[in-house]
Amino acid sequence: MTRPAAFLAVLILAAFAASAGCTETTPERTVLTVVPAGSLLLPLEEVEAAFEDQHPDIDVRVEGHGSIQAVRQVTDLGREIDVVAVADASLIPDMMYIPMGEGEGNYTDWYASFAENEMVIAYTDRSTGADEITAENWHHILARPDVRVGFSNPMLDACGYRALMVTALAGEHYSEPGLFGAIIGGSFDPPLTPARAEGVTAITLPERMRPADGKVAIRDGSIYLLSLLDAGGIDYAFEYRSVAEGHGLRWIDLPPEINLGSRAHADDYRKVQVTLGFQRFRSVGSERIGQPIVYAITVPENAPHPDEAHLFLDFLLDAFQKERAGWPAPMDAGPGAAMAYHATD
Amino acid sequence: MIPVHRTAPALLALVLVGVAALVCGCLAPETAIEEVAWNLTLAGEEEEKVLTLAEVRALSPDEGYGYSVSTVGIKYGPNRYRGVLLADLIDMTGGAGEDDLIYVSAEDGYLWVFDAAQLRGEEFFTFDENLKEITAPPLRVILAYEQDGEPLAYGDGGPLRLVVITETPDVITEGSPWVKWVDRVEVKSG
Repeated sequence: MTRPAAFLAVLILAAFAASAGCTETTPERTVLTVVPAGSLLLPLEEVEAAFEDQHPDIDVRVEGHGSIQAVRQVTDLGREIDVVAVADASLIPDMMYIPMGEGEGNYTDWYASFAENEMVIAYTDRSTGADEITAENWHHILARPDVRVGFSNPMLDACGYRALMVTALAGEHYSEPGLFGAIIGGSFDPPLTPARAEGVTAITLPERMRPADGKVAIRDGSIYLLSLLDAGGIDYAFEYRSVAEGHGLRWIDLPPEINLGSRAHADDYRKVQVTLGFQRFRSVGSERIGQPIVYAITVPENAPHPDEAHLFLDFLLDAFQKERAGWPAPMDAGPGAAMAYHATD
Repeated sequence: MIPVHRTAPALLALVLVGVAALVCGCLAPETAIEEVAWNLTLAGEEEEKVLTLAEVRALSPDEGYGYSVSTVGIKYGPNRYRGVLLADLIDMTGGAGEDDLIYVSAEDGYLWVFDAAQLRGEEFFTFDENLKEITAPPLRVILAYEQDGEPLAYGDGGPLRLVVITETPDVITEGSPWVKWVDRVEVKSG
């Protein structure tokens, strides 16, 4: 082979390989797959950017899901995920403290609880009753027949069944037994009626959550409710406080006895339970029992990059220790405030 | 006759390019389309049938655009889907009454419940590209086996996935009913 021919061959090879994407011209970055609950997406954008600034060799890929779906990516769907963060701490022991396969270890044996949230009533200046609603009369405003109320589908979103719990707890708190029916239950055919027995209020949902009138609107997730609120399709939405704040909405704070945000009232919350209309996942039951809203995070045992995952987790835990607008609140001291829980706890 | 001293380097270069491309996986031979072993159970109120994938494919097809969005706003699509109307499948085991519910379940343990109105393509919420709600155009519910002219890949929910289709590629529907890996459709009296 002549020298020019050899040079040509090398040139062609190099050009071909480069155009086919077979050579990497930039240093390879470790891709860290992080699967958080939807209500963590806003803060995680900031955490991701700050973390990547400090660790340019790590590419954090955030993939949001509902909390149960986030866990299922690891368990039922067998994906190799580096970090899982959920809006309901109980899901990790319930769904992940199980063996990955016969004779194998659990998907995880620990989690760290790192933030908390509470339910609020979000609205805009244009909402019917916006000029008169207060923390004292909100339940009467929402009960008006001409006021439209929205919440996310309890089948799909923890915020959805928490909306039902808050409304049921409000009926008890304000001693107004008809409140649940006036705000939500009466919009279904047949009406949704809480059943009270042995100190527990139980709400059983139908298979299809389809309101029979225009007073109640249900959408798959929070973002669609916010869009509906913006467009004037509803007047009020049951949301997490951080989500309402993060989207620049007005909101009404609810009493700690009913807002699912106070660990001191955990015993009160437990007195309300929701039974979903069907078992959407074979791996998760249909009963949801009221409890404080606590966020939790773990690194699955089969995470492909455990070292980087723990680095990210520590970074996130540190970031969440500070109160920030639009973020779930830091865990304060008090009952049940321990940070890390293990299978043996 | 072509002079050898001119063709040899060019041929060598071509061979090298080919070898290099194969080594780095850029010229992998096209994988042959394999018929996947998959059974679909249709459970009517009085009758039950099991169809193979080939039998599903042999039924009268429908096609359209499918574009879904997850609960947190991640959009998937648009893609062109081909499959069988869910209503046609249900008719094979006696159909569904107005108050009946249709349980569509999957290999991975996922279940979604539809009512008769949804079987007709009604009562779904639809969105534009900016995820603003729009009035729903005519929709149809199919069990899709093809995406963009190719057999629906397992990673995309194949070989059988429930898909809500429209005539245009700019209509987004909520993703929760898009059950992946469907292996059972059951009618239950409501």
